[in-house]
Amino acid sequence: MDGKVIVVTSGKGGVGKTTITASLGAALAVQGKRVAIVDMDIGLRNLDVVMGLENRIVFNIVDIIKGKCKIKQAAIKDRRIDNLYLIPASQSDDKDVIKPENMVWLTNKLRKEFDVTLLDCPAGIEQGFKNSIAAADEALVVCTPEVSAVRDADRIIGLLYAQSITPKLIVNRIVPKMVENGDMLSHEDVVDVLSIDLIGLIEMDEKVVVATNTGTPLILQDDSKAGMALQRIALRLDGHPDLPVENPMIQKSFWKKIGSKFSRKN
Amino acid sequence: MNQNQDPPVRLKGVGDSLWVSVDPTLPVEQLKTELNKPFERLKHLAINARVIIDTGTEDQDSHDRLIADLGSYLKAQFQVGHVTKPTPPKRSVNRNRIRQQDMGNAWHHYRNDGLIIAGRVRSGQKIQARKHLVILGDLNPGAEVIAGGDIIILGCLQGKASAGQPDNEDAIIMALEFRPTQIQIGGFVAAGIAGSSGSYPEFASVENSAIVVDDYKKENPFRRLAWPEVR
Repeated sequence: MDGKVIVVTSGKGGVGKTTITASLGAALAVQGKRVAIVDMDIGLRNLDVVMGLENRIVFNIVDIIKGKCKIKQAAIKDRRIDNLYLIPASQSDDKDVIKPENMVWLTNKLRKEFDVTLLDCPAGIEQGFKNSIAAADEALVVCTPEVSAVRDADRIIGLLYAQSITPKLIVNRIVPKMVENGDMLSHEDVVDVLSIDLIGLIEMDEKVVVATNTGTPLILQDDSKAGMALQRIALRLDGHPDLPVENPMIQKSFWKKIGSKFSRKN
Repeated sequence: MNQNQDPPVRLKGVGDSLWVSVDPTLPVEQLKTELNKPFERLKHLAINARVIIDTGTEDQDSHDRLIADLGSYLKAQFQVGHVTKPTPPKRSVNRNRIRQQDMGNAWHHYRNDGLIIAGRVRSGQKIQARKHLVILGDLNPGAEVIAGGDIIILGCLQGKASAGQPDNEDAIIMALEFRPTQIQIGGFVAAGIAGSSGSYPEFASVENSAIVVDDYKKENPFRRLAWPEVR
């Protein structure tokens, strides 16, 4: 059976696409899938750094498409996690060297080798985005609880529907305290505007910064809230679609209620 | 009697044309000499002017030859443009009024130019309607709708809505949840109000050269109409 191709996209930059792609890939690989992660951000590659594989890049996606190397030569195997491969982007080329039909060709090859292919889509709706969605079967839209991110995600969702891809939503960087105070959009507000299926909520987590800077997979870190959330998203993507979405808000208020019961009354 | 007192040729400006009333009982040659006087006074204004020759009778067709004769004379002499006879008065005005009151049969008389769409209009999408626009769904921030008539959103309006484009200031914008980024009615523009609660249906209309937003249930603008009418 052919594997599936999932694009991780957002429209707005800096909402956590690359981190989520790397972590989801790692989580799926840990669950026993053969996973390929493709960095689609030609000219501004980051995924290799986030995964800690930048010093092992020899060939890249442009070399594959130009026929300079085979897919096996360009795919970098992760040393810590089995069955996890990265196909890096080119740092020196321009986005326009890849065309949507090239991506369809590449992903058709990857489908035969891997159970899941994750595409890390660049920000924006230009060539890089078009290349990424041309080949995708499914899409994950990453959105932070900010008005600007919601608007860009909305545009992206429209474009994905136009390609007859039904996207799923990940709300990233939720700060429960700020939501509680009304300083941040709640995930309900975001879902309300975007009106697509929610697949996961990820809380703001300082460990993510450490993980991306050191190139260690987030899911291998102990007690990282974001890592746990991403593992659950990976489960939902892979055969457990009914796993309930954990709401960081409810968790908080539950403990708060218990806490208030036991706290001294002043 | 009456005709004898009137001068044989009279000229007045009607709309963008010259209305020439002539007495058809007089001989053609006399009418031509009579026409010279007013047209000479017009000088260059007569050049390329539209001229309507009115013989003053109900049955205009009987004087076709006279009108053609005088027309060719005026064209040759004063370089006027079109020469026509008066068009019969429009009867449809009256019929229109009957139709308006007979709303029970409206189905037979009116075709709807409105555009009704269902679904969510997302950021970056733009929908244009020639006349009224009804959206059974929401209008997200960053989306834009433009209509020649009213815009009615049975859902949440959060984007930009332009009604009555280009110049219909009677148009309204109505939404069950009214939280637009910007609205336009005709030539008027209003920025969205951040403080709007959006919990009840509201509508925007132009009052005294300004866009006003009101509670639709309380200030329904059409409740006062004596008769249901087509918009």
